Amino acid sequence: MDNVVETRKLTKAYGDFVAVNELDMEVNKGEVFGFLGPNGAGKTTTILMLMGLSVPTKGTAIVAGHDIIEDSREVRRVASILPEYSSLYGDLTAWENLDYIGRLNDQPKEERENRIGEMLGLVGMANWADSKLESFSRGMKQRLGIASTLMKDPQIVFLDEPTIGLDPVATREVRELIMKLNREKGLTVVMTSHLLHEIQMTCTKIGIINRGKLILLESMENLNKTMSGGEDRRVELMLTETTPDLVRDLEAVTGVKSVTQENGRLYVYGNSNSDLEVSRAVTRHGSYILMMKPREYTLEEIFMKYYNQEVAG
Amino acid sequence: MAGTMTVASKEMRDQFGSRRFLILFGLILVLGGLSAYQGVDFIRNNTGSSFVYIFSGARMSFSFIQIMVFFGPILGLALGFDAVNKERANGTLSIVLGQPIYRDSVINGKFLAGAAALTTLVFSTIAIMCGITIPMLGFAPTLEEALKIVALTLLTTVYLLIWLSLGILYSTVFKKTSTSILFSIATWMTFSIVIMILGVALSSALVPLPAGDFIGTPVTPDGQGGQGGQRFSVSPEYMETMQERQALQTAIQRLSPTQLYQETASAILGVGSFGFGRQEFARTTTLAEALANNWASITALSVIVVVAFAASYMMFLRTEIRPGE
Repeated sequence: MDNVVETRKLTKAYGDFVAVNELDMEVNKGEVFGFLGPNGAGKTTTILMLMGLSVPTKGTAIVAGHDIIEDSREVRRVASILPEYSSLYGDLTAWENLDYIGRLNDQPKEERENRIGEMLGLVGMANWADSKLESFSRGMKQRLGIASTLMKDPQIVFLDEPTIGLDPVATREVRELIMKLNREKGLTVVMTSHLLHEIQMTCTKIGIINRGKLILLESMENLNKTMSGGEDRRVELMLTETTPDLVRDLEAVTGVKSVTQENGRLYVYGNSNSDLEVSRAVTRHGSYILMMKPREYTLEEIFMKYYNQEVAG
Repeated sequence: MAGTMTVASKEMRDQFGSRRFLILFGLILVLGGLSAYQGVDFIRNNTGSSFVYIFSGARMSFSFIQIMVFFGPILGLALGFDAVNKERANGTLSIVLGQPIYRDSVINGKFLAGAAALTTLVFSTIAIMCGITIPMLGFAPTLEEALKIVALTLLTTVYLLIWLSLGILYSTVFKKTSTSILFSIATWMTFSIVIMILGVALSSALVPLPAGDFIGTPVTPDGQGGQGGQRFSVSPEYMETMQERQALQTAIQRLSPTQLYQETASAILGVGSFGFGRQEFARTTTLAEALANNWASITALSVIVVVAFAASYMMFLRTEIRPGE
């Protein structure tokens, strides 16, 4: 079975406010799924429902083969969550915190203790095993939080805004940890984030949710194609010399749709097959290329595009 | 069950190590010790007194029972009022509930840990009171007296559990600890003070004294009246009204567990029961009599514990983690 998560018309309403609206979504095994959306879009609510911390108003979901309503406890055996703003116990040491989580998972003493050592090492906290959590920086707390989600050896981990409030160094450590877990342990990860470039760097698939509805579900690979332009690909050129003849010649190249000039730069719109012909045409006219850069669409632009479509629609 | 014990043992560690519990425990031990000294003084001055008077010694302005009547609600509420909502605020609740445990093990574990702390407090206070008074008095309680002490210990524990379960209920109902602490204080004031005053005020208002001259005929001074003053007998009508008023007042005050506890505890020890700071008069009864006479109160106290805990249990099972918690 390839789907680790499969939601079926999953719905959550708080009174009149529908936080998640008949959501149908799939996450495959081994993916790092990025869950994007503006504040209040329903990302967190979805994750909470998947972990049995919140009860769906309608619909259901299957997590690692278990129904989240009928079989909530089984789900929590094989899935972990690190909720946003969550914390372990400040007055317990790193070791004691993981020990408590291990006990709650009914792990026998020996297995538990081995696993604590292993997890502390994995997140780079082995030297702080006996320090109290309250003395840790936010980044260390977050790493320990991730270690706590791994105590049960889960098939899937839900990380809600795992890098929020972290400095760039800590952000990078957490990001690398997530990627390492995915790469080395084949762990399926679902993470939410507002930091779009974060998602772009970490995830293999993204889902954009807005007002409780999924508005985009796409692999990062396809998105990258979209982001490099696809139909409206644009290449920025900086040349030693630009003449009207050259511009006319460029427009005549097959695959090029149009050429514009701005601030001494040329913008060539067209598909990637035309790049070689474009550079040949430039040298034919005795000019040289100083810079040739295809413009990449950022996830933010894509996000805004879908978001605006949704708002307009 | 494994989950319950895991939560309970963690919570017990927290409770017993908390400054809050240690301060309250210390305070009760000091007050208990002082009241025991007063009890010893009373027993020495009144030959033939029962050993159990160390808990209720008649001349004391405060006895063990009165300490518990007054501080009991604070003890129980203090250990319970933030049991659930503190974890909610700290963000630990969602992590714990994300583990493969049955939900009720969290609330059960918390109740068990609080109950263990309170039981320890009551047992050790009473044990220490006995421990310091036996050598001072030079005699130990008889079997009947020892049984009375055991009964008092159990009754006090149940009484404290009432406040613990109410505290846990507030911590489950209210998301903020500041709200639950306010409700805890209001609860304590209501049951310890307001209902007592209400009992007096309502009974006076609802049972007016008979109109006119309620004082009976003066008793002729015969030299025994002292300072040559007149003594008056009281009309039977007046006595009747006062008794009726007293009955109504007690009935109203019995709405409060503190009243039920005070009456029952005093009955078990075989002393009359009056309000805080008032004199107590010896009124010897056997333990069996006391239990039989106060069975309804004992049942009521136990039922309150069960109902309050059941309410928080139900609330907690329906608890939802919302985004941002």
